[in-house]
Amino acid sequence: MPVTDYQGASASFTNFGRSLLSMRRDQVHSMEAAHEATSQEIELEAFQKQVAERFNELSSVDSDQLLSVPWIRKLLDVFLCCQEQFRSILFNNTANLNKPPMDRYVTEYFDRSVKGLDVCNAIRDGIEQIKQWQKQLEIVLCALENQRCVGEGQFRRAKKALIDFAIGMLDEKESNTSVAHRNRSFGRNNTQNDHKSLGHFRSLSWSVSRNWSAARQLQAIGNNLVAPKNNEIAATNGLALAVFTMSYVLYFVMWALVAAIPCQDRGLQTHFYVTRQFVWAVPILSLHERILEESKKRDRRNACGLLKEIHEMEKCAHHMNELIDTVHFPITEEKDGEVKLRVHELGLVYDGLKNGLDPLERQVREVFHRIVRSRTEGLDSIGRGNHE
Amino acid sequence: MAENGEEKLIAVARHIAKTLGHTDTMTDDILQIFSSFDNRFREKLTDDQPLERSLKSLHRQISRHLSAQHPIWSDSADSAAFLDSVDQLLAIIHEWNPMANDKSVSASLDKAEDLLQQAMFRLQDEFTTLMQRASESVDLTRHQNGGDNLGGYYESEEEEEEVDDDDDDDSGEIPIAHPVTDYGILIEALPAGIISDLHEIAKRMVAAGYDKECSHAYSVSRREFLEESLSRLGLQKLSMDQVQKMQWNELEDEIEKWVKAVNVALRILFPSERRLCDRVFFGFNSVSDLSFMEVSRGSTIQLLNFADAVAISSRAPERLFKVLDVYEALRDLMPEFEFMFSDQYCVLLRNEALTIWRRLGEAIRGIFMELENLIRRDPAKTPVPGGGLHPITRYVMNYIRAACRSRITLEQVFEEIIVPSASAVDYREGDDRALSSSSLAVQMAWIMELLESNLETKSKIYKDSALLAVFMMNNERYIVQKVKDSELGLLLGDDWVRKHAAKVKQYHVNYHRSSWSKVSGVLKIDNNAMSSPTGASRSLKEKLKLFNSYFEEICKTQSTWIIFDEQLKEELRISVAGALSPAYRNFIGRLQSNNDSSRHTERHIKFSVEDLEARISELFQGSSGSGGGRK
Repeated sequence: MPVTDYQGASASFTNFGRSLLSMRRDQVHSMEAAHEATSQEIELEAFQKQVAERFNELSSVDSDQLLSVPWIRKLLDVFLCCQEQFRSILFNNTANLNKPPMDRYVTEYFDRSVKGLDVCNAIRDGIEQIKQWQKQLEIVLCALENQRCVGEGQFRRAKKALIDFAIGMLDEKESNTSVAHRNRSFGRNNTQNDHKSLGHFRSLSWSVSRNWSAARQLQAIGNNLVAPKNNEIAATNGLALAVFTMSYVLYFVMWALVAAIPCQDRGLQTHFYVTRQFVWAVPILSLHERILEESKKRDRRNACGLLKEIHEMEKCAHHMNELIDTVHFPITEEKDGEVKLRVHELGLVYDGLKNGLDPLERQVREVFHRIVRSRTEGLDSIGRGNHE
Repeated sequence: MAENGEEKLIAVARHIAKTLGHTDTMTDDILQIFSSFDNRFREKLTDDQPLERSLKSLHRQISRHLSAQHPIWSDSADSAAFLDSVDQLLAIIHEWNPMANDKSVSASLDKAEDLLQQAMFRLQDEFTTLMQRASESVDLTRHQNGGDNLGGYYESEEEEEEVDDDDDDDSGEIPIAHPVTDYGILIEALPAGIISDLHEIAKRMVAAGYDKECSHAYSVSRREFLEESLSRLGLQKLSMDQVQKMQWNELEDEIEKWVKAVNVALRILFPSERRLCDRVFFGFNSVSDLSFMEVSRGSTIQLLNFADAVAISSRAPERLFKVLDVYEALRDLMPEFEFMFSDQYCVLLRNEALTIWRRLGEAIRGIFMELENLIRRDPAKTPVPGGGLHPITRYVMNYIRAACRSRITLEQVFEEIIVPSASAVDYREGDDRALSSSSLAVQMAWIMELLESNLETKSKIYKDSALLAVFMMNNERYIVQKVKDSELGLLLGDDWVRKHAAKVKQYHVNYHRSSWSKVSGVLKIDNNAMSSPTGASRSLKEKLKLFNSYFEEICKTQSTWIIFDEQLKEELRISVAGALSPAYRNFIGRLQSNNDSSRHTERHIKFSVEDLEARISELFQGSSGSGGGRK
């Protein structure tokens, strides 16, 4: 493939930055003039381009779809695609991975990915927590839906479920504010447990220890994640950039998951330093900014998780609660109409969750398994290459 | 006429009831008494519709229970009566629902459902209280030496003496459970009476459509209990990251704890919870399944996460045996997983267990790959002094032998058996036939080949080809011996053993060729030179001098060489003597029979044949302190 064609193609999608090839071309080598893009370079260039494309698509979402269950699922799909591409890059470049500094970069990446595994496990717990809240709403629907005319008993039942729901969310929020204040008691030797009065919701214990912190985990993933310099990139034939890109994707995806889903000690204050010179940096940074903005909004500042559906659950439950409080018996037709409206609203939110959460959980699990597989393969091939 | 009479009678009865009855309740009661005398009254005495009438009385009964301060279930007569009322209420609602379009019916139905909801709330409270109180009593008996049915799942220290248990130490600080060796123990998680009470309540709640509330109350309580039991088994909740970073000896301890814990969990705790679920929610399978899943999910995930973390951790060969422990533990528990986790809610958990088990198999194969790498990587740096046994030979052979003690499991790992239960049982019972074409055998043969290849590379450091041969003899011999008297021999097969024993012999021959043939060559009598007496004696004298110097040198050198195997050492000495001694005797004889200047020449005879043999027997002693004989 003549160099000029590629040059034309590369200029169009790297408005902000320099393509790998153009960087290489700047290296003064007499051979470079007649250099044809090797398949390796094509592969690496394609990786950069496709990561950017995928994140561009994610970033083009409306703000009311951002951090919804369908969007998160798309995010995870993007991760899996990037991961697969990265995996094949590693596979095609095994020989180069054994030389320093690549062996260090790759090992670092796999180390980060282990921390990602822990985030996946925490997210799985978080999804289960959402399901527990969802169950309370199911009771509300059971009480109020499809009744010929809702009686006082059903309202009481719905009200109780709504209270339990609110307590559940409150408990989660409080346990998130400070690790030190977490007073969840284990063991019934503590008499008059607080948690009993809170309706037992917090006894869904995490599968991680009480010291585990999502915020710290994210920090660890992003630790020392610095863009390679141009000469490093050139010296490693672009592989250093590929590893950096994948590390960044991992970092962002884990961060977004923690932002959306309840987990222990969520903290979103991790920093994203990456210059806009990389094509994919633009959409990722834009998403990061939007999510961060969302987290600062007044009504979401103490959210257990920024997932749209959680917010919707809260709002619906709140409206329903308020409405129920204004209901007097015998119920007027007007009130009954309002109730039916709110029930319908709640039903939509509930259905969305019911259909979305199980696939989401499976996908998170899939992400987990693929990370493991990629890491095992990668470490094996480095290990084997280390001595021939 | 009769009708008139009847009407009058009814009117009188009504009048009496109204006058005597100071309250509605009393009126109703009086009317009830009248009704019980005569059927005709029942229908006609009150103004109320039959539905309303029944409801009113139920309302009274139920309200009386609801307003009680003490738990209804603190008295069995109360609870029976309450349940009875609830049953009647449910029956009424069921009977009258189809007629809900009728306005008067629907009004009563509303009241009925209202009453039902209040009853259900109370039932839920009672249910929760029963569960808490019951498990608290179990908790108490745990701290005392819970020996009877209410006791904990594991004996305390005091009971240890009664139990035939091999376990030794116990720090006495944290109550970590001692392993229960007899898994046939039937644990009663809750007293039978309470289980029955819970079931009665559950029946009504499910019938009323309050199954979610019931299941939730149940799950929350049992989950807490289960997780506490698990935490008492001393398991830490470690993250994947933490496990990767742990020191190996720490991780070993944790694995040991885990193996015990997972067995207690899968063989005692979970079955007990399953049984309890099934009894409390008897007749309502999906509620039972859901509840069990809610109860056991967290603990199961915690246990599996640890196994997963082990499965992705370092492939250092030293870790093999502990990883095998984890693999075998999961393998042996697969039938339990199959049995308890196959309903719609739990099947995901079972699949996870399978995946993680497979991953452990992968880890084991990875460990062998790492062993291969280590062997290949082992550099040929400094030669082993005296051509003795190289540490890598010893390490690899002992490692492989130890590994092959778990041959049956390893066969399974290398054949990538993924079907649990049936095959797992087969493999546990094992089969000792030699499987020399199995994947494991292929793997072992390959490791042997790598080892030999590495040794051959190492041997090239020896400049002296005789020493090279000795080195190879030693190591090859060690390999063959270790293979012969172990499972390895079964795996690799007789042919392999024969071939490699032959290699030892070949090196033996090489050894001779490289060192002694030169010497014995000197002793050859060249008949041409022997033609003249002077020529002969000169030739013999020179030969003798040469012989002496060669022999002296070789003995000096080779006495510091090592043959570790006593038998091999003897064989070598005998073969050297056998090659040299007759030739020397012959030579000396010729020398002495040569009359010319025999006295001179005789002066040059340094060694008698006995001396020769004595020196030969000092070969291969090694330098001081590093003598052979080490196996």
